[in-house]
Amino acid sequence: MVRLPRLGIAGALILLGSACQDDNPAADSDQAASNTADTGDSDGPTGTGAPTGTDGESDSDGDPGDPFAPAEPVLPRLTVSQYRNAIEHLLGPGLPGTPLEPDTNPYLFYNIGATSTFISELGVQQYEEAADHLSRAVFDDPARREALVGCVPAAPGDACVQGFLGAFGRRAYRRPFTADELTRWTDVANQLSQGDAWRGLQFAVAGILQSPHFLYRVELGEPDPGDPTRLRLTGWEMATRVSFLLWNGPPDDLLLDAAGNGDLYTDAGLLAEAERLLDDPRARVALQEFFAQYLDLARLDHVTRDPTRWPMFSPTMTRSMRTEVQLLVDDLIHRSDSDIRQLFSTRRTFVNAELAKLYDVAAEGASPITFVPVEMPADGPRAGILTLGAFLTMNAHETITSPTNRGKYLRERVLCQIIPPPPGDVDTDLGDDETMDAQTVREKLEQHQKDPTCAGCHSIIDPPGFLFEHFDSIGAYRTLDNGYPIDASGNLDNIPLDGARDLAEALKTDPRVGRCIVNQLYRHATGRLAEPSEQPALEALEQRFIAADHRFKQLLLDLVVSEAFRTVAEETDA
Amino acid sequence: MSFVIRKPPLSRRTVLRGAIGGAAVALALPPLEAMFGEAHAGDPTGDPIFGLFYWANGVPWHAGHGADQGANSPGGDVWTPPTVGADFTPSPLLAPLAAHKVSVATGLEPKTEVPQPDNGQSDGHMRGFMVAMTGDRIRPEGFDHPSHTLTCLRPTLDQYVATHAQFYGNSPSRFRSLCLGVSEARFHDYGHWNAISFTGPDSPVAAVHSPAQLYSMLFDVPADLMALTRRVTLIDAVLADAEGLRGRLGGTDKQRLEAHLDHLREVQRRLDLSSGTCDIIPAAPGDSADLIARTDIMAGLLAAALNCGLTRVFSFMLSSPATTHVFNNLGVPNGMHQVCHDGQWEYVRSITEYQMLAFARLLDHLAAAVDPMGVSVLDRACVYGVSEYGEGYKHSTAEMPVVLAGGCGGALVRGYHYREQGGNLCKVHVTILRALGIDTPSYGFNGGETTEHLTGILA
Repeated sequence: MVRLPRLGIAGALILLGSACQDDNPAADSDQAASNTADTGDSDGPTGTGAPTGTDGESDSDGDPGDPFAPAEPVLPRLTVSQYRNAIEHLLGPGLPGTPLEPDTNPYLFYNIGATSTFISELGVQQYEEAADHLSRAVFDDPARREALVGCVPAAPGDACVQGFLGAFGRRAYRRPFTADELTRWTDVANQLSQGDAWRGLQFAVAGILQSPHFLYRVELGEPDPGDPTRLRLTGWEMATRVSFLLWNGPPDDLLLDAAGNGDLYTDAGLLAEAERLLDDPRARVALQEFFAQYLDLARLDHVTRDPTRWPMFSPTMTRSMRTEVQLLVDDLIHRSDSDIRQLFSTRRTFVNAELAKLYDVAAEGASPITFVPVEMPADGPRAGILTLGAFLTMNAHETITSPTNRGKYLRERVLCQIIPPPPGDVDTDLGDDETMDAQTVREKLEQHQKDPTCAGCHSIIDPPGFLFEHFDSIGAYRTLDNGYPIDASGNLDNIPLDGARDLAEALKTDPRVGRCIVNQLYRHATGRLAEPSEQPALEALEQRFIAADHRFKQLLLDLVVSEAFRTVAEETDA
Repeated sequence: MSFVIRKPPLSRRTVLRGAIGGAAVALALPPLEAMFGEAHAGDPTGDPIFGLFYWANGVPWHAGHGADQGANSPGGDVWTPPTVGADFTPSPLLAPLAAHKVSVATGLEPKTEVPQPDNGQSDGHMRGFMVAMTGDRIRPEGFDHPSHTLTCLRPTLDQYVATHAQFYGNSPSRFRSLCLGVSEARFHDYGHWNAISFTGPDSPVAAVHSPAQLYSMLFDVPADLMALTRRVTLIDAVLADAEGLRGRLGGTDKQRLEAHLDHLREVQRRLDLSSGTCDIIPAAPGDSADLIARTDIMAGLLAAALNCGLTRVFSFMLSSPATTHVFNNLGVPNGMHQVCHDGQWEYVRSITEYQMLAFARLLDHLAAAVDPMGVSVLDRACVYGVSEYGEGYKHSTAEMPVVLAGGCGGALVRGYHYREQGGNLCKVHVTILRALGIDTPSYGFNGGETTEHLTGILA
């Protein structure tokens, strides 16, 4: 039986189970959300019910009174981008790309796939081939290999070989080699050299690149002198954690030096390094990766629209939409360092020529490749990313909108709620009943409300989804659906709203938005779902996030020094 | 194309390994021909082949699915053949496969228990898919809707066969199995939804979609054999390096690392045999975005590989479960998943017909790959044609589509229609495993158990 990242709900992640399906035993939905949808008060810290079908956590694990206790460690395998970042760090830029097994992203995050999905045989073969190709590319190039090794080995096993392997090993394993490891790779460099010390080093490098110590992040901890009930991460392990969080790649030499000096055991030392990393361009890329996963932007890559039906939808449109979100995220984190929740309410955005046309806004200086900041009109229909192309398009069908998909995204991605899947053997056709006189998507979906099997969930999903009905399948504003006037009224948890601007206003003060960001970041940072016993640390993190006016960089710094990020429990069955 | 069958049984490591530790070595490599020798003494045509052909989103609904859908199925039942037994009359959708005398089973359905709360488990996409592929239900734990983390409790049939001691014994082919894909559309961006083969829970085997990548895997023979041998030796060092870590891990982490190391040993074995490829190597392939054209290309390479013994097990995913593939070429404006659920019968019919034409192209290649004795790959093969549910209109797993193509070396009767309304889908698994010579007193799990095979189809 595989141990899953368990669904400790950890406060912000709320199952709407009992609201959706009548037949859930109480144990599966308990207090989590039986009245969630009705009151909007879905996020109390006592909402610890395990979703259906998971290993039921006992509620006492998550009682707010219990002190924090760390979770067991996980063993993340490097994601594709982390592997490539590590290779560039070790061997330098400009090496040929090699195919690797695609990542999986359960619960939205590649880092969770990295701790739960087993690699396939082909994936291992690709690691072997990549190690061979990359090491050969470096060592077949005299300039490149001398730059890497830093000295010229005169004979297999000489001081140059030993010195290089020690330094390379520390960067590759993100800690110094043990004596056994240095001996092992020195022996390999000797035995496979065939008299050519360069060739021997090539094979040693190829071996190190296949080692699980390189391919997996080993963060198993050491005894914590301050607390015998738990383990703390070693300095080397903290260096790895921090750099993979902030750079999506391995620590540099300075960070490893700080680890070696013991600096990373202190808040001050950790914060100094984290701030240094955050100022590096690598952090921008890494944070974009987090937001792309949290906002599920990869789905845009699979969007297709028939150009005859949607002449504005150019082949570059999805890329433009994605770039727009990236620029907005970057603006809120780095340029203004302001409340990240404005993502869902700001009238500011960034458009190129085709987006300006799609949104019908003036954008001086915009071109097909130049994005310029614009302020959406105060009396216009748009504010926040839920009114922008990326969200509206990827949550619509090719020819018609999908209030269901849009409402579901709001519930799941923005508010961190869980919507159970539809029951089996359900009639999913809403459109072909001859006796039905529905004309608009909205009228068709209102059939959901008439069928008790559907109404449980769809009464939670569809009403906020209707708020986006003024935006068609590519995110353009419209006043008619199928020739009939749009009705974009709806509600969120029974608070009546009219249109997406109303929703943006409501989200400004909705505490679930910030809490959801904390939880999603924690999942991304740890590569798993939070355990109930970690709840106190998450709540503390959320309080700090509120106190810091929801600035995302501060949240990252608070996370780095949080005890939840620095401690682990002992592996029970090691 | 014709290919000489031969086995690549001899490790070069035994020849070269002694040379590695020494200083300067000037060892002449033995000629490859001598290392491979003759085709192995037994009759290679006796070795059965198992393949899976997977298409998405079932078949167009009809009254057999258990609901009154008359008004919504204008063409009636275009899947179930009108006659049963030997030499049945093909239905419209099975007509493309008729030339290969496929057998079919109709009326079968999953019998696995659905846990309560079902948490998605009664959903046809997942339940039908997993029972058809593994004989078991999906893993109940960890499934939640935002991520749809779909995984199995045990290996899919192809991986079960590929690792079964009674299938390969001690002489596995260079590849125990090949997992190929054609359409790259997927229902989710999650890896688990873009694979049909699993070696176990959370262990999807990603399909190879690129003809160039497949060609390279199968037919590119590295020229530097000495370097290959050093790569083999290097893996010994990697395995030794992993030992210390293995001992520090528990639970799933340990299992994940051990699976990785097992795969590494398999990669090592293959490198050791790496010069074993076909005598006649096909021309480098092109590619196409059209599903049938790409099927044609991939199936040609696959048939060549099967015919010369590079593998004996494959899965061929034409389209992934719940595919969102937009069949523009057929005039279908929305993704297939959507048109199924929207009840657009005619679209589903035309897409299913198209997918059957692709299936037929695969079988054409398997039938055309013939050994010197005149035995085709299809004669030796059992190809299980399967989809995830009966139909998508109601996610119904009643009337699951089942096609069994090939003769399996005489173990399967061709051109037979077995019908049993409400019968246990796992009878298919029992039939296949017995045909492949794998002792199978029963198969199926969590309520899906059966001791029976499909009478009339198993010879």
